[in-house]
Amino acid sequence: MTTTERHPIRGAEAAAAAKQASPSTAPKKRKRISAAEKKRRRAGWLMITPSVIHVGLWTLIPVIATFYLSFTDYGIFAAPKWIWFDNYVEMFNDAVFMQSIGNTIWYTFWTVPVSMAVAVVVAVLLNQGLKLQKFYRTAFFLPQVTATVAIAMVWLWIFNPQYGLLNAMLETIGLPGQAWLVDPKWALPAVILVGAWQGIGIKMLIYIAALQNIDESLYEAASLDGASSIRKFFSITVPMLKPATFFVFIISIIGAFQVFDQIYVLTDGGPANATTMMTYEVYRSAFQEFRMGMASAQSVVLFAFLLFVTLISRRVTKEED
Amino acid sequence: MEVKSRMRRTASVAMVALLGFGLVACSAGEADADLNPDEVSGEISLLTPIFEGSPGQDLLEDELLPQFYEEYPNVKVNVDYTTYGNLNEKLTTAVVSGLVPDVMLMGVGWIEAFADKGVLADLGELGLSEADLKESYTDEIVEAGMWDGNVYAVPIMLDTRFGVARMDILKEAGYDSPPSSWDELIEIAEATTVRSGNGSLERAGFDMMSLDARQAFETILFSAGGELFNEDATAPAFNSDEGVAALGLMADMVNKYKVEDIGFTSTDDIVNPLINGRAAMGIAHNNLWTQAMEADSTVLDNLEPFVIEGEASGMFFGGTLATVANNSKNPQAARALLEFLSSPDAALAANEQRGNVPALTELLDSDYVQSNRFVQFAMENLDVAQREGGPSQWLEVRGDFAPAVQGALLGQKTPQEALDDLAALVQTAIDR
Repeated sequence: MTTTERHPIRGAEAAAAAKQASPSTAPKKRKRISAAEKKRRRAGWLMITPSVIHVGLWTLIPVIATFYLSFTDYGIFAAPKWIWFDNYVEMFNDAVFMQSIGNTIWYTFWTVPVSMAVAVVVAVLLNQGLKLQKFYRTAFFLPQVTATVAIAMVWLWIFNPQYGLLNAMLETIGLPGQAWLVDPKWALPAVILVGAWQGIGIKMLIYIAALQNIDESLYEAASLDGASSIRKFFSITVPMLKPATFFVFIISIIGAFQVFDQIYVLTDGGPANATTMMTYEVYRSAFQEFRMGMASAQSVVLFAFLLFVTLISRRVTKEED
Repeated sequence: MEVKSRMRRTASVAMVALLGFGLVACSAGEADADLNPDEVSGEISLLTPIFEGSPGQDLLEDELLPQFYEEYPNVKVNVDYTTYGNLNEKLTTAVVSGLVPDVMLMGVGWIEAFADKGVLADLGELGLSEADLKESYTDEIVEAGMWDGNVYAVPIMLDTRFGVARMDILKEAGYDSPPSSWDELIEIAEATTVRSGNGSLERAGFDMMSLDARQAFETILFSAGGELFNEDATAPAFNSDEGVAALGLMADMVNKYKVEDIGFTSTDDIVNPLINGRAAMGIAHNNLWTQAMEADSTVLDNLEPFVIEGEASGMFFGGTLATVANNSKNPQAARALLEFLSSPDAALAANEQRGNVPALTELLDSDYVQSNRFVQFAMENLDVAQREGGPSQWLEVRGDFAPAVQGALLGQKTPQEALDDLAALVQTAIDR
């Protein structure tokens, strides 16, 4: 084993150390450790082989195939025909797909921060040693492990203009009921509400785990200095949660861009395409219109969006990362 | 009715050997004689969007397939259940993977796409001709299973849509019969609409929202004398004057005459508004009768079906047809199953289980049809019923109809604009 391995150091130092290492001595060192190290590496490769095969078969090849098919006219009944950028040109001239991009961004813009804000507050509250804490944690997490279709059925009833819980509640306080899922003005906000609510559970869980890693002495010191609870929350809790926030932010954005099942069950993309999303358009192209080439092109655009947002997020939160 | 029906089915088991091929026996005798049950063997797969759910599976596996096996002991059928909502995905993945089921039940409007692409077997090569089928079915129903002059599918059941009126409500408003014209439809709808003091709708005069927007539009379009496509299905025709008038009527019902509000009913409603009195009239599926029997049989006497009359008679039919895969490794076994499923006894049992309309004209006299007024009404009026579909791209474009219709009802576009935009989309798909 090399010196650097015995005393692990961070990447930059390791790189510098590697640069300083004499080319002539490096092979010598590798030879010296080769027997044990090779065995260890072989074992490592052996252990990750199933995972590599899995990723290769079910992720890498489909991704490459998707990129290839996005440049073809492939309608499942005949072999793909290379058409260069025709799918992309058509897609960006398609008013419905452009609307789906707008809807997806709008959905993400609201569901991600709202559910993150609610999740962090809930996590803090449920980290105070309250009575029935476990029950509440389970209750908040339940939507995450419940099938979206089942959840959507419940929300269909809540949003029902005639018998729905929401309109009944509004009427008791003198407000008019709405046709939540069939009025274009309200359909997307209604879907956003469901998305934000459903996403709270997993975010709360991550935040609770992160909260439990915050050193209690920080709060004790702040208390001794006379800091209020709100001050402690914003000056200690929020900064200490930044790494978790970055992680939650990324997975939330990816999840929001991939929203599909609740649209499929709640609105079918309607009314008049008011709630259609990029993933729903991919589904429609692939399974309703049998245009796999177009669906692949739409998937590539969705992938590009996610890559862009993730890179921006990494850049913005680089220090915390 | 159920007991009686079961007795009748049980009694007819002995006749299955003859009736099992009923369709072909009375039509394509030569081909049928070729099919020797002892020589037909193999394992075949059946993909079905009907028979799903517990009652349907019980019917297929406990009653129908045992009868089939009695006739064809050397054939094994593996059933793949799905719903119409998921049939596209099933068929798409089946075609892409090359594992197309031997026998596929699919809907009206689906045949064109799969026949055009060579997925379906030409049943003419198995001995079923158009002329033979037209002896047992109405012309329009037979044509739903044809493409390019060849027969690719045999009908099993029909889903029809027509007008239904709550006569108790109409009589209260001073009307003794359902409307016989668009003008009367508007007049009665306005007279039977009820709003509360604050203007919120309590009863719709004419409900169109509890039905799929595309199918509601098609029903009105047919009553306007319009067509979906031109004769050779190479261009859309629904944006004609008749189409614009039909969508205009729907939009006016909501925005001008205010006989229904957006969101008052929806396709997700568990109880149809005609059953619970939240609508005086509406466009409904024939199985409303069965739903009413289960939900509240006291309303049955008050439900009156009617054909929506405009410039023409408007009635819509879809349905389920049986097809055979072109690449089936056991085409004779597949053909045997197709013939069995479309035979009078099996088709009647399947229709009865779903409250649907048998496609076979001879079943008009059956106990089931005679005991179900809506099914009877539908069968008696099949000569005016029209279907959707036409071009082989129908499955690609049919999903675009609902947003277009909704856009017009919501006032986002005029009926002409909505239909012209839709027609442009459809034409692009046809030309692609």
